[in-house]
Amino acid sequence: MIKIKNVTKKYGELKALNEISLEIKEGSILGLLGVNGAGKTTLLSILNGLIEIDSGDIEVFGLDIKSDKKEINNISSIIPQHLAFYEKLTVKENLDFFSKIQNATQENYTKAIEINSLENLLSQEASTLSGGQKRRLNIAIGLLNNPKIIYFDEPTVGVDPKSRNEILDSIKSYKKLGITVIYTSHYMTEIERICDEVAIISKGQIVEHDTLENMLSNRVSDKICIEIIHSDRKIDALDIKNDLTIQTTESKLFETLATIKENNIAIKQIRYGSTSLEKHFLDVSEK
Amino acid sequence: MFSAMIKKEFLLVLRDRHALLALFVMPAIFILIMSVAMRDQFASDTINFSIAIIDLESNINTQKLVNKIQSDDGFNLVRDEKTAQFIITIPKDYTTSDKQKIEILVIDSIKNDLLEIFKSKLLKSVISVKLEGISEKLRVISNEAADSINKVSISPNELFEVSYDKNEDIPNSTQQSVPAWIVFGMFFVIIPMSTIYINERKQNTLTRLTSMNISILSMSISKTIPYLVINQIQVWIMIGVGIFIVPFFNTPALEINGSILALVALSIALSVSAIGLSTLIAVSATSSEQATTIGGILNILLGAIGGVMVPKFIMPESMQNFANISPMSWGLDGFLEIFLKSGDIFMVANESLQLLLFGLITLAISMVILRIRISKGL
Repeated sequence: MIKIKNVTKKYGELKALNEISLEIKEGSILGLLGVNGAGKTTLLSILNGLIEIDSGDIEVFGLDIKSDKKEINNISSIIPQHLAFYEKLTVKENLDFFSKIQNATQENYTKAIEINSLENLLSQEASTLSGGQKRRLNIAIGLLNNPKIIYFDEPTVGVDPKSRNEILDSIKSYKKLGITVIYTSHYMTEIERICDEVAIISKGQIVEHDTLENMLSNRVSDKICIEIIHSDRKIDALDIKNDLTIQTTESKLFETLATIKENNIAIKQIRYGSTSLEKHFLDVSEK
Repeated sequence: MFSAMIKKEFLLVLRDRHALLALFVMPAIFILIMSVAMRDQFASDTINFSIAIIDLESNINTQKLVNKIQSDDGFNLVRDEKTAQFIITIPKDYTTSDKQKIEILVIDSIKNDLLEIFKSKLLKSVISVKLEGISEKLRVISNEAADSINKVSISPNELFEVSYDKNEDIPNSTQQSVPAWIVFGMFFVIIPMSTIYINERKQNTLTRLTSMNISILSMSISKTIPYLVINQIQVWIMIGVGIFIVPFFNTPALEINGSILALVALSIALSVSAIGLSTLIAVSATSSEQATTIGGILNILLGAIGGVMVPKFIMPESMQNFANISPMSWGLDGFLEIFLKSGDIFMVANESLQLLLFGLITLAISMVILRIRISKGL
């Protein structure tokens, strides 16, 4: 388990993290959401021992971040957003290098190659790989030390849909191996697809932390949310929000649908008692 | 761990063609070009002036003078005045009137020191002919006196014994060019160093390495060792060019008169200095373009100040003192001690320590900057 208690990190007068507290269960996949500058990268950097906290406590699998930084690094791994390897080296030379500096076992080395389907690319120079293959190599390097925790910092940026699916499937499979994953992404669909829990960080504070299920349900209580394609005119009978949603209740649903039909408005989707993660994230972040 | 990091650094440098060109081909070409181009500037004895002579008096006495000038190896008498560097005109009544002067028309633009060499060579011929005339006149009175005049030598080699004070040794063009461009080339490790460092920083590879418990000290040492080796290979290849290739261009070969141990010690110290400065630029710059531009300009400035482009011994004294601020000057002085003055390790200890200290200080500052950058998320 990762326990973050009242952690503050300041850059001059700016509080990048302001007394944040968060608990992440072992073996879970946590989606960390936040707009740019919210404090996600600072939190990931702290958890990876790259920067130190000003106050508070962090415990990672029973190890203290201040005194056991090396031990924590040994059981964790970061997959940076950038392709953190050497383009001029071959796939094998990259894996050999990162493997040797971490004293990785042959078993882990082979497993990292297998999981990321790099067997046929070993002799290829990294610069010649496709975007998806590069992402897979980036992830494989992070698996060499057989980590208990993996931090993914937007790992699917610039990846084609097929490779993205493969990457997301492989991340989901880490749960079966008991690996704890902390995942940041701007793609809400990815978070919805793989994460068990979601923490929303805004202005250096955790503004919400819950299971994905709880976060998506019951947010508008008894209301039904109808998403429409577009509407270029105001209809008095319908309260069309700026985000092209109409909220109604079960008792008024047929009446509302009739009005929508009368006005020839196309419906995108109807959600009963729920909202999208993206909308929820925007609502919470704006508060 | 170290072996993996060193191997990685070697592979990256060896696959960087631009870096290899800057490190090995550029200084080798400079050595060849500058050794050949400056050959005559460094060896006045071998200078040959093309001249045309117009003898307006044209008698037996002036013919003697013309013959004397012609017999001097330093002059090449040409028939076509257009191809001559100098036109020497012997005026009418030159041998009979004390007021007549030989006229020298300088055709090419020429430096003052070369003009002085030309005049002294011509003076030698003129005095020689005049002494022969005096000797002939004296022979009427006294054979003994005439013979004693004939024995008067005006050859500088017979008249003067030239020896060089320690600080006044003047190298030949190869002795100047080889160390100068070795020093210059060594500082060009900035190109591969900055490219690799900045890519590592921008791609978050440094973040990854730090999160893998690789300390900044380990990273710095593992980067220093490959470049130390590369710099040593550079030194010996350039020395090889000076010894074996330069002579093919009718230019003196490099001679290592001093101790090899001193050469190794000095080149290691110089390498530490070059690596330190390059690391400092690489960790301070925000892009590899910025690093290579700043590094390139700084190298050229340090080279110009330090006597790489223009030998220090022809600089004015104030400029020679100013040159001492450049680590390239310390390295060059050390090499010249070894090549010219049979320098041993003690003779280059001062330069070596200066370079080593400079390198260690810049490396230490670089590590502090890198630590700050990493702690601020690079």
